[in-house]
Amino acid sequence: MTSAPVTVRISYLYPRLLSVAGDRGNLVTILQRCSWRGIRYSVTEADVGELPDFTQSDLILLHGGQDREMTSAARDLAEKAGPLREAIETDAVVLAVCAGYQLLGRYYAPPNGPTLEGLGVLDVVTDGGPTRFIGHVAVDCNLSGGTRGQLTGFENHSGRTYLGSGVEPLGRVLAGGGNNGDDGTEGARYRQVYATYLHGPVLPKNPWFADHLLATAIARRHPDFGPLAPLPDQTEARAHAASMRLAQRPATGWRAAAAAMSRIGWPTRTARMQGSGERSAEAVKKEREWTSH
Amino acid sequence: MRTMNKALDAGPGQRPMPMPLAEQARFALALTAGKTAAAAARILGVGGGTSLPGSIARRIDPQVLQKVADASDVCKIFVTGSNGKTTTCRMLAALAHAGGLSVTQNRSGSNLLQGVISTALRGADLRGRMDAQLLLLEVDEGTVGRVIPELRPDTFAVTNIFRDQLDRFGELYSMARQLQSVIDVLPGSATAVLNGDDPLVASLAAGATARSMFYGIQADHAGEQVPEHAADTIRCVRCQHELSYRVVHLSHLGDYSCPECGHARPALDVAVTAIHPSPQGGSDIAVQTPAGDIELRVPLPGLHNVYNAAAALTCALASFPRPIDPALARRALAGVRPAFGRLEQIQAGEHQVTLAFVKNPTSYNTTLREVLHRPGRKHVVAAHSNTVVDGEDFAWLWDVDLEQLVPQLASLTVSGTRAEEVALRFKYAGADPSVTQVIPDRAAALQTALRKPPPGEDLYIFAGYTPMRELRGVMQRQGWVRPSWEE
Repeated sequence: MTSAPVTVRISYLYPRLLSVAGDRGNLVTILQRCSWRGIRYSVTEADVGELPDFTQSDLILLHGGQDREMTSAARDLAEKAGPLREAIETDAVVLAVCAGYQLLGRYYAPPNGPTLEGLGVLDVVTDGGPTRFIGHVAVDCNLSGGTRGQLTGFENHSGRTYLGSGVEPLGRVLAGGGNNGDDGTEGARYRQVYATYLHGPVLPKNPWFADHLLATAIARRHPDFGPLAPLPDQTEARAHAASMRLAQRPATGWRAAAAAMSRIGWPTRTARMQGSGERSAEAVKKEREWTSH
Repeated sequence: MRTMNKALDAGPGQRPMPMPLAEQARFALALTAGKTAAAAARILGVGGGTSLPGSIARRIDPQVLQKVADASDVCKIFVTGSNGKTTTCRMLAALAHAGGLSVTQNRSGSNLLQGVISTALRGADLRGRMDAQLLLLEVDEGTVGRVIPELRPDTFAVTNIFRDQLDRFGELYSMARQLQSVIDVLPGSATAVLNGDDPLVASLAAGATARSMFYGIQADHAGEQVPEHAADTIRCVRCQHELSYRVVHLSHLGDYSCPECGHARPALDVAVTAIHPSPQGGSDIAVQTPAGDIELRVPLPGLHNVYNAAAALTCALASFPRPIDPALARRALAGVRPAFGRLEQIQAGEHQVTLAFVKNPTSYNTTLREVLHRPGRKHVVAAHSNTVVDGEDFAWLWDVDLEQLVPQLASLTVSGTRAEEVALRFKYAGADPSVTQVIPDRAAALQTALRKPPPGEDLYIFAGYTPMRELRGVMQRQGWVRPSWEE
């Protein structure tokens, strides 16, 4: 670590509007892992009607909410779109969770209610489904730059998200629903945007991922900063292992029945995403709808 | 106080058509089997028999609950909501006893469908008739939709809707929709008792045929100007704009209005107009009611218990056949002891233990606020388990202000099947990992934790429902506390 004073500039979006599932813990985690290492930080909260200069942010947090709050957030996010896009295109690090993930995509079409236009920085589309994916998730990630690791957390969403060719999945689902329950993908990645359905919250239980975001955010303005100092992460490791066990425990009852149905080809399963042609998220979704009938 | 509802004096209600013989036999068998199971469970000492009898009876006769309801001339009061159900019911039962009414109620927090059926069976004779005048049930907010069609309440109270177990209930608004559909089908003779200070709850009366009665707090000095960060963001039910509060009493409960469309808190039928701390740690309150003003002593600490008392009083006004004597009501309420695990004080050998049941950010933060007022460093057991009752998702722990507890923390023992998750939350709240011990087994955790406080320092247990019951069970076997079903 260099001795040059470094301040990580964090933008925390919609702290009151989109904060339903303990996701504030992601902010707490980033701040604690900074202070344990003596790294300074500043936090700018941006609620509805507030327009911070996102291009000054190193790390932007955008979390989940319920359908009703999401509508308000979508309206407001359109106002923030310009500087937010610019920040993303200049490699500001963004963590987007659940509703935040959906809002960065092209659209979210809830089961009842009008379709919400997203920011469109991620080439993904999301449709509301008849059932919710609720449960523990385990994901295998292979991020650019050789960072590998497993993510674990808790998903609770009815949206089915389909990825186009403009994004990469954040990881492959080892257990749980992920983006849509069909294609084995979870989350999306574009430049330094990391989008996921994982609550839990996701960062404290996956310290390697928290540090990846933090290191990338610091490197954006301080390329010579060097690797982050290691921390004693025993408590984190135990929580990670416990959550992985919960996600991968053998199914019983309904979970077993559903798994068995999917094994015999009951229409919960559709063709895997294949090929690598240039396809938009809409095209991918249409193809999937066709193959599932 | 004058009577407001003649539910009990309505005379012989409409009797249902006589049942066919086979149905009668099935009903009789279900009653007998359920009652036998309850007796057996008690004799064998395998718990209070709070859900098994209902489970057995319902297997024999799926309509057992409806049949008991039809056979009895009993006034049915249901209390639901995220927080405060148990305490509200305890207070209401005390008021009923003071008014000379006999009560059958599910006291042990057994508020899922089987527990409700067990309670109805316990109160009924072998012909299925209840001789109590009041059937008082706290019903789990997720179960309400299944119980109500079978057992139509005369009074239906909703205490509040807080974020609680999103993995079970989806989201706040779907919970509200479910409760609204229940209230929509209540007949005109029924009363919906609603917390007017909760914007979501107050909105449930919009399409109701039933009469609604709103209760709330009208005292300005008790409260804040802005909701705490853990408060669920509640938007105007009419126009979705963010609500503004003249005063916030607890989480999102308060005197609100919408700056956009003018929608505001309804006029309160029962309003708490003054709140003063009482010397014993509770509150002395003045309440305006349609039957006149009344002064009450709430023996339990915190504004949440003021709300519970207001809810109980409103239910009593709505459903008791006779006016309650204010002096008797005051004495009855003042004698209410906390329900098990609600900041329950237990003498454990030479140690004083405070047992607190916490299940969502609001109940946890409210409990913490009470505990932090007490002097001295705190030795803490924090326990959570993933069960059907407690849920799988403990992300809500990150919305609890544990950061405020840490400066007073002397030692920490985390327990339960999700002990690792709890330990992680405390670490990021600033707890020193070197004073933290992870002991998933509940009995072992308690044993270890009890060795930690030196004389003069107390042990505090914060636990979800299942580990709370288990830890209480351990202390019960030591003879430190009575079984919960004897309360």
